[in-house]
Amino acid sequence: MASVTIRDVEKSYSEHAVMHGVNIDIEDGEFVILVGPSGCGKSTLLRMIAGLEDITGGDILIGDTVVNDIEPKARNIAMVFQNYALYPHMTVRENMAFALTLNRTDKAEIARRVARAAEILSLGAFLDRYPKQLSGGQRQRVAMGRAIVRDPQVFLFDEPLSNLDAKLRVQMRTEIKELHQRLKTTTIYVTHDQIEAMTMADRIVVMNDGRIEQIGTPLQLYDTPANLFVAGFIGSPGMNFIEGEIENGWFLTADGIALPTPPGAAAGKVVYGIRPEHLVPDPAGVPVDVTVVEPTGPETDVFGKLGRQPIVAAMREGPPVAAGEKLRLTARVERVHLFDAATGRRLPTGIPGQAA
Amino acid sequence: MKQVPLFIVLLLFCVMNLTPVAWGFLTSIRQPVDAFAVPPKLIFEPTFRFHWEIWVDKGFWRFLINTAIVSIFAVTISVSIGSMAAYALSRLRSRAASGLLFSLLAMRMFPHILLAIPFFVIAQAVNLIDSYPAMIIAIVALNQPFTIWLMRSFLAEVPSELYDSAVMDGCTPWQTFRRVALPIVKPGLWVTVLFSLLLAYNEFLLALVLTRTNTKTLPVAIAEYGAEDITYWSLSAAAAIGIMLPILIFMLFMQRHLVRGMAAGAVKG
Ligand SMILES: Nc1ncnc2c1ncn2[C@@H]1O[C@H](COP(=O)(O)OP(=O)(O)OP(=O)(O)O)[C@@H](O)[C@H]1O
Ligand SMILES: [Mg+2]
Repeated sequence: MASVTIRDVEKSYSEHAVMHGVNIDIEDGEFVILVGPSGCGKSTLLRMIAGLEDITGGDILIGDTVVNDIEPKARNIAMVFQNYALYPHMTVRENMAFALTLNRTDKAEIARRVARAAEILSLGAFLDRYPKQLSGGQRQRVAMGRAIVRDPQVFLFDEPLSNLDAKLRVQMRTEIKELHQRLKTTTIYVTHDQIEAMTMADRIVVMNDGRIEQIGTPLQLYDTPANLFVAGFIGSPGMNFIEGEIENGWFLTADGIALPTPPGAAAGKVVYGIRPEHLVPDPAGVPVDVTVVEPTGPETDVFGKLGRQPIVAAMREGPPVAAGEKLRLTARVERVHLFDAATGRRLPTGIPGQAA
Repeated sequence: MKQVPLFIVLLLFCVMNLTPVAWGFLTSIRQPVDAFAVPPKLIFEPTFRFHWEIWVDKGFWRFLINTAIVSIFAVTISVSIGSMAAYALSRLRSRAASGLLFSLLAMRMFPHILLAIPFFVIAQAVNLIDSYPAMIIAIVALNQPFTIWLMRSFLAEVPSELYDSAVMDGCTPWQTFRRVALPIVKPGLWVTVLFSLLLAYNEFLLALVLTRTNTKTLPVAIAEYGAEDITYWSLSAAAAIGIMLPILIFMLFMQRHLVRGMAAGAVKG
């Protein structure tokens, strides 16, 4: 087990820069998740840590060792790929043993480690099967087994669950989490499923276009997003962004509708951010024209218009509403975020616990 | 029931393909005069005399051995080089790589006769006429573009994550090729071996130009019997039936691999 330090890392493909100075400190035993939109460089970063891609600038350290020029197998890292990448011509047992066979580990030791991994992942019954004889979830477990037997310092996962159906994904999510709690191996995990990120991570790294937007615990990102990008990325349905202005301490939408405003807001153009779950029905609230109602079970997502701007509210209780009706809503003021309209950065407010 | 029309088509196809073989076989076990009788004689005394005569008395077994030596070496060399080259080309995504591939294809388009002449001149210059190496090298040269293209098409189907995975597992580049890439495309490898074997085994023009008495191969030897005198026809038919057998046996042994390879699904997760 080891810490991983990513220091000013840059990456270019020929002339084309895709990573512009990334810094992350990952502690020993930590479970860190990289999220971000498609093409932002998550896989590239993971592959650089693995040693599958060259590093154009900066340093990557595993423990105290700079590994920039160390070949992949000497980094003692195991990687799980999205499409599992199991060797089709080898049985499950051979797949798991392959790395150990290559470095001439003693036969008894290989058998012992494979047996242990198979036990951890309940793969005992499948050891002599070929990958094509397994279900998606079982293949995924074999891929993890292959990583476990090597007893690496770091696990890397690149969207390991995105080929599974929704139910299996939830189950495997729990299994990976349990695995981490059991083995306590430093883990870097890429996903673009933000539920996975929120539920599994010790810390989340939000990336965008080859840069880091914010690093924090799931709740830090949820409660105090650094900017509009992070605020919009975390949470589903996403945070409402309403354009308008602060005048005399009050937020007025572009249509001139006043909304509850945290104290201490400076005058100027801002974006008002409020999560759907922090909008509540209130007879004295602002009127919303309901356009679509989507019950999800635990809550009902109500889509509508506030003046001319779209808004979503997630209702847990209250009377049922239907499309075409008017709904009066108010924002829980302690949950309101204000963002600088020009820079997108979150502005400090007078609300305790919301320090910048 | 939907299969019936397909079945009929395939049946016709088989009949079409097997007729010459059957005819050849029948010719090889009859007296030449009977073979050409009009109307065809359906009842005759079958004899394997001609088979014996051509293979033993006329010493055709030597040409079979020559053909076998040339084929085995040519196939082994061109498939090994072809697999390695194809592997490299399937992993290099550079312009140079695709340029190389297309120049190979262009080489393949030359008529053999165009190549046979320079091969002859070269072989003569280095004093290799009527030697195994001359034939082997020439066939390898002729066959190489094909093995590279065919192997590359199989290797192109291997997902690159498997190679990444191999690297993470600690494979050297050679091990990635030998222990991951090659076993995965094994059915394709057998298809390549078969086609290369057919080419080497049947090669006529180059053999005609490059061999004399010592290394003469079967196709050339058979061609020398035939046309001029009707009495030779039974002999050349016996030789032609004989030349088919080794390939037939090879196909029977390889059938399982070949069907899988030709069905292209060489790689499936
Ligand atoms: N081999 C390559 N050559 C050139 N550009 C590349 C190469 N690999 C990736 N890129 C570019 O690098 C950027 C980051 O790609 P990367 O695969 O890391 O994205 P990602 O965050 O993993 O996206 P996704 O969520 O879709 O997997 C993209 O703009 C991509 O086009
Ligand atoms: Mg990716």
